[in-house]
Amino acid sequence: MNAPWPSRLWQRFARTRVGHSVFRVGLPHSNLERAQAMVSSFLLHVQPAKVNRHALRPTATLGLGLISLYLFFILTGTGVLLMFYYVPSTDRAYDAMKDLQFVVSAGLILRNMHRWAAHLMVLFVMLHLCRVFYTGAYKRPREFNWLIGTGLFLLTLGLSFTGYLLPWDQLAFWAITVGTSIAGYAPVVGPKLKYLLLGGNVVGQEALIRFYALHVIVLPGLAALGICIHLWRVRKDGGLARPDEPADSVQQIELSQLPTNKSYGLMELARGTTPQVGKNPEDEIFSWPHLIFRELLLFLAVVAVVLFLAVFWNAPLEQLANPIHPPNPAKAPWYFLGLQELVSYSAFWGGVVVPGLLVTVLVLLPYLDRGRAGVGRWFARERTVANTIFTVCLVVAIALTLIGSVFRGPNWSWQTPWQPPPAVVEGH
Amino acid sequence: MNEGPLHKFYGWFTGLSLLVGGLVVVAYYKDEFRSWKDYQRHFIQEEVRRATKPQQRALAEATPVQIRQIVLPELQRVDRCTTCHLAVEDSSYGGYPQPLAYHPQHDRHPFDKFGCTICHRGQGRATTMADAHGNVPHWDAPMLPLRYIQASCGQCHQAADNPAAPELARGSQVFEANGCRGCHKLGNSGGMVGPELDKVGARRSSEWLKKHFLTPAAVTPGSGMPPQKFSEPDLEAITLFMLSQTGESVPGFYASMKVIPSANEGRRLFQQKGCIACHAIGGQGGKIAPALDDVGLRRTPAWIVQHFRDPQSVSPGTVMPRFGFTEPEVRALTEFLVHLRDQQVALSLPSLMSPVERGREIYRKYGCAGCHGTDGKGGVPNPNAKTAQQVPALTYVADGYKKDEIKKLILNGQHEITPLDPKLPPPPLYMPAWRGTIADAEFDDLITYLFSLKPKGEDLGF
Repeated sequence: MNAPWPSRLWQRFARTRVGHSVFRVGLPHSNLERAQAMVSSFLLHVQPAKVNRHALRPTATLGLGLISLYLFFILTGTGVLLMFYYVPSTDRAYDAMKDLQFVVSAGLILRNMHRWAAHLMVLFVMLHLCRVFYTGAYKRPREFNWLIGTGLFLLTLGLSFTGYLLPWDQLAFWAITVGTSIAGYAPVVGPKLKYLLLGGNVVGQEALIRFYALHVIVLPGLAALGICIHLWRVRKDGGLARPDEPADSVQQIELSQLPTNKSYGLMELARGTTPQVGKNPEDEIFSWPHLIFRELLLFLAVVAVVLFLAVFWNAPLEQLANPIHPPNPAKAPWYFLGLQELVSYSAFWGGVVVPGLLVTVLVLLPYLDRGRAGVGRWFARERTVANTIFTVCLVVAIALTLIGSVFRGPNWSWQTPWQPPPAVVEGH
Repeated sequence: MNEGPLHKFYGWFTGLSLLVGGLVVVAYYKDEFRSWKDYQRHFIQEEVRRATKPQQRALAEATPVQIRQIVLPELQRVDRCTTCHLAVEDSSYGGYPQPLAYHPQHDRHPFDKFGCTICHRGQGRATTMADAHGNVPHWDAPMLPLRYIQASCGQCHQAADNPAAPELARGSQVFEANGCRGCHKLGNSGGMVGPELDKVGARRSSEWLKKHFLTPAAVTPGSGMPPQKFSEPDLEAITLFMLSQTGESVPGFYASMKVIPSANEGRRLFQQKGCIACHAIGGQGGKIAPALDDVGLRRTPAWIVQHFRDPQSVSPGTVMPRFGFTEPEVRALTEFLVHLRDQQVALSLPSLMSPVERGREIYRKYGCAGCHGTDGKGGVPNPNAKTAQQVPALTYVADGYKKDEIKKLILNGQHEITPLDPKLPPPPLYMPAWRGTIADAEFDDLITYLFSLKPKGEDLGF
């Protein structure tokens, strides 16, 4: 078989003394080597040596979680580079944006990539959440991973929101002012929470330094940890949810039920879904190269999309933040515009009750919806009720976001995007 | 073998790799090839072409292509204009087309101390023409058109007496003479009928301002400001003066240059510092120290300067203290004293004026003319006011009011103006309360002036 030239090059390198010392295995030829390629590599051993055929179908997951992970990688890389130039000071932050644009080599492209990747990550984490819902993949034994997933979703929003302030332009300043005032509507804790976030009553230097610390250390650290646990749980819970999963693959072995006159190895105490349990060898194929190559392709595609956006569209940067000149209307970041639209009807119901209820239901979902039917299949017939409720919520959320972002003009009045903006009257 | 071949993906792999590679190339191209580099290469070529000696030529050829910037920490600016405008300091480039033109007359404002954008505005950090000249969205300070450049002088220097910025001085005079201050606050004084003007130059363009002066309601719907009938030069001058009001607070060194040493400024200082308490001019003032009417004849300017710096050094045993004037203040005061023999300079000292003259100055100072017209002649429209849809003239104040009554009216103002037709919107202009603004000591002179407005001999017929 004539391998393509990159494979041959790789093979040649892996056979050298240095190459062998690093990778141990060259390009695998036998199934044993294929398993070794995965297991003996630190970066690859997170994934199993063999995966279920179902997981490789593009329609199984649409790769949404992996895309989110890649975007997180891109954001970390570009973010670290941006940190070399950024100064979290109200005097210098905006200037740093201008310097990135005008004098730093590749500065603008880095900022663009970071910005667009951040928006995409919010979007794809949301899509990933929808996918998990519609395929019923949050059900036992994956309840806790859903919990971690919702945590990661909120962390993603937090990351994007804290990053939004850092350019210190009008867009940043007023979006955060609006966003944090929505947080202030919460009963009892709201005002305290807002004060804690901002380090004061208004957005200023204290808020900037807090958002910066949250954005570059606290939230990414938590997110990285959460992602690790999330991925680990995917394996521990028996890989991706799939329709033909044996229903009894999850049995908890109670330690107290074990005879005490025997010592156990770890593998005997592990849960039922170790790689050997409930898996038909016929359905398993080697991760190397089938999974790895698909993952590589997806990575290239994600990089291509982010680069494409970054090359042709600049990240927005408005005037320097000016606390006495609010834009009209002042809008929160797009993913909070549905919320802002709700708040415009009623601060209490729209800002507290509805989003609070939604987040609570989202977090508790696997413990509320305990049916075992329809796992691993899209829009399973058995789950029509759940899917309908979810779809209605989703459509309403999208509609509200759309209204908030496109159909709202000065003073939050109704305005169609195709009608000319009303003349701004400046009274005396 | 249960593993499907990967061949179907090789095309995808190649395509995506090429796409990513291509995008990296495009990104690199956009990042690397910037217009300022072309301008610099052009400049280097020009330098090489003009070189006469081999060393010059070698030096020119070795000029690196790099960002040039003037860092001004005090002004919180970084001006990269010289990245493209490379020859601003080289007079041999006089008359060259931009961006290589020479910038004349920069000896008093050296670039390394002032940069460019403090006068020209625009975006100093930017390195593309559209961005740097500020003609882009989200940049509020586009470059000031050259015919309004004197507006920038007003950021550091006083507008009224600036011999180097006559247009600015004229604008300031137009502002005061037309009583704009009566309705608009500027600096620390002015009425509250219209908006404050302290930062108007940073918010408005020259086009907007001009349109606004001629037909205020056209650019600000509902504005009650009467249309102004400025002559063309006055219109340009007051537009320029408005553009100078940016609210930019210049720090330290720049602020210390506020005083332009002129006789007028010296006169202002002479009043303000209370020199008249000891020194008399024209028979008015203290007798403790020598009268100063002829000081310009008795002393040289150098002596006067030294006397301000350290009185004891030129006149031992004198009681005059060291006042610690700044250098520009010393020079201004000296200028004033040297020119004291000039009647014009001396007569405009308030202590030498008649009460009516002082009153006229007060009328002018608080912008009364803005509504009541020059010399109280009226004629300023106030739509729907019962008084002939105009602000009343002040010519016959002496007949209708006693001194106490007119003082009370000025102090308390008159916020409700009787409308001609109650169904129409109320008249936009009203008399603000001047309590706390016009000093108590000024009222006597002001009222004396107002009473003097009545044409002479007219009351004979009554």
